Formats: sequence, structure tokens, C-alpha cells
Amino acid sequence: MTAGTVNFAVSCDESQTGARTLHQARQFDQFLAEVERRALRIAEMGVRDRDEALDLVQDAMIKLVRNYSARRSEEWAPLFYRILQNGVRDWHRRQAVRRRVMAWFPKAKSDDNDYDAIAAAPDPAGRTPDEELQNSEAMRDMESAVHELPTRQREAFMLRTFEGLNVAGTAVAMGCSEGSVKTHYSRAIHALREKLGEHYQ
Amino acid sequence: MNESNDKLDARITADAKQAFDQSVDGLDAATLSRLNRARQAALEELTKPTRHWLQWMPATGLAAAVLLAVFAFRGPAEIDVINTPASDLEILLSEENIEMLEDLEFYSWLVTQELEGDSDLG
Repeated sequence: MTAGTVNFAVSCDESQTGARTLHQARQFDQFLAEVERRALRIAEMGVRDRDEALDLVQDAMIKLVRNYSARRSEEWAPLFYRILQNGVRDWHRRQAVRRRVMAWFPKAKSDDNDYDAIAAAPDPAGRTPDEELQNSEAMRDMESAVHELPTRQREAFMLRTFEGLNVAGTAVAMGCSEGSVKTHYSRAIHALREKLGEHYQ
Repeated sequence: MNESNDKLDARITADAKQAFDQSVDGLDAATLSRLNRARQAALEELTKPTRHWLQWMPATGLAAAVLLAVFAFRGPAEIDVINTPASDLEILLSEENIEMLEDLEFYSWLVTQELEGDSDLG
């Protein structure tokens, strides 16, 4: 093989690698853009704090791209949610430790005068305040009912109902068997029926 | 499970999904912007060079810890006599050996004799 052939082969390899990376970047961008908002709300329902949920979603995105870029795109959703759910669980563990430590210190006074201009801004979807209130009340009731579910039931319900993962995908995301997913989901539905059923009478 | 429960479950699930989707659609611009930045940060990972050496970090750390532990539990090592020019000078300058300095010419001659003897043997 001559030097010219080698150079040509190397440049072909580089251009192929570059094209592959670009194609992969587009695929990841599409996947993450599609999933990010639902993932944020799911994480937020898990930790009940938007900033923390945003951090958890960003961590999950980075870990997915860094560690699983070689996996097929069909596997990304379950893997992404598995990383996210692990992040939520770790967050709860850290919070429990922090609470134990902070119990030894006196509470600082909270500042109630914070004005959030973004939160007070009009709804970008153009809904009236009444509609917004109705939606937010419905969401709040449902959210608190979902939040009160045991962790595994909550995960199964959110992944199946909100994200639309099938049983197999949910099993990967939760790191358990498909049978366990069915059991957790069924129990979650039963518990929600007990809690929210009276609103439907 | 009876039919009414099935219907109720379906309604609860559908309403929950609808409320969830509405909350997703109602996310504010600042949050969407942060999500976009998070996504771009994640995509940058694809262009970063693979850091293979990082894979060895835990193993290297463990090996270093084991080595430290071995040295720590071996107990005090034997103290070697340090033969440095400074210590030689200290010995030479101590009061007990002051006569040696006086006989320096003799010792120099002795060394020369020994060297000549060695060369005769070799």
C-alpha cells in the first residue's frame, strides 16, 4: 500500500467517523428533545422540586450519551429512564442523610419575599386563568395521589402511563422483571382508584 | 375485578395522562431553555475524546491503597546507616578523631599502598 493510498484510507475513515458522529448526534438530539419535558415532569413528581429535577434530567442525558451511545436507539428510552430513576432514588438517599445531619443545626429563616417573574408571567399556551387553575388543581390532586404511592408503584405507573413504555421497557427502566412491573402497576392503579375514585362518583 | 372498576381505572388513567400532558405543555420558557442547554451539554459528550485511561483509575487507586497498607503494616524498617559526605565530615570533625586529621598524610600513603598492592595482584 502506497503512502497516498494510506492517506486516502485515513481521510475516508475520519470522514466516515465524522459522518457517523453527526448522524448519531442528530438521533440523540431528536430523542432527547422528544423525551426531555416528560422526563422533567416525571422527575419533578419524584423529587417535588423543579431545579433538582432539571439537574437530574441533565445528569441522565449526559450519562446516556456518554455510556450508551453504542446501543441501538430503541434501547435509549428504557436506559434513559433507568438512569433517571436511579438518580431520583440517589437524590432521596442524599436528602435523608442531609435531613439527619441538618437536624443538629437550628433552622434558618426562610425568605418569603422572593418574587419569581417567570412564574408570574402569562401562560405561553394562551389559557385563561380559570382553565389554568382547573388544570393545575386536577394536576395537583393527581400529582399528590401519585406521589403518595410507594416508590416502585409510582415508577411503574409513571413509566407506563405518562411515558408510554411497554412492560418490557418499564422492566428495563426499573431494573426488575416484567412480572414485577405488572404487579407494581396493578397495585398503583388500585391505590389510585381508592384515593381518586370519589371524584368520579 | 368487575367491569365498573375496569372503566373507572381506564378513566383515572386517561385523566391522569391528560393532566400530565397539560402540565408538560405548560412548561415555561425558562424551563424549556434550561432543558435545551442540558441537551446541548449532553450532546457535547459525543465529540469528546474517549478517556480510556479513566477506566484504570479505580484499579490504580486500589493498587496504591494496597501498597500503602502493606508498607504501613510491615512495621518500622531497619534503619540504615547513612553514608553521605556530610556524615563523613561530621565523623571526621568530631573531637575523638582529631588525631586522624593530624595523620592524614599517613592514611593517604596507606591507601596508595593498598591500591598498588591490588594492581599487583590483578
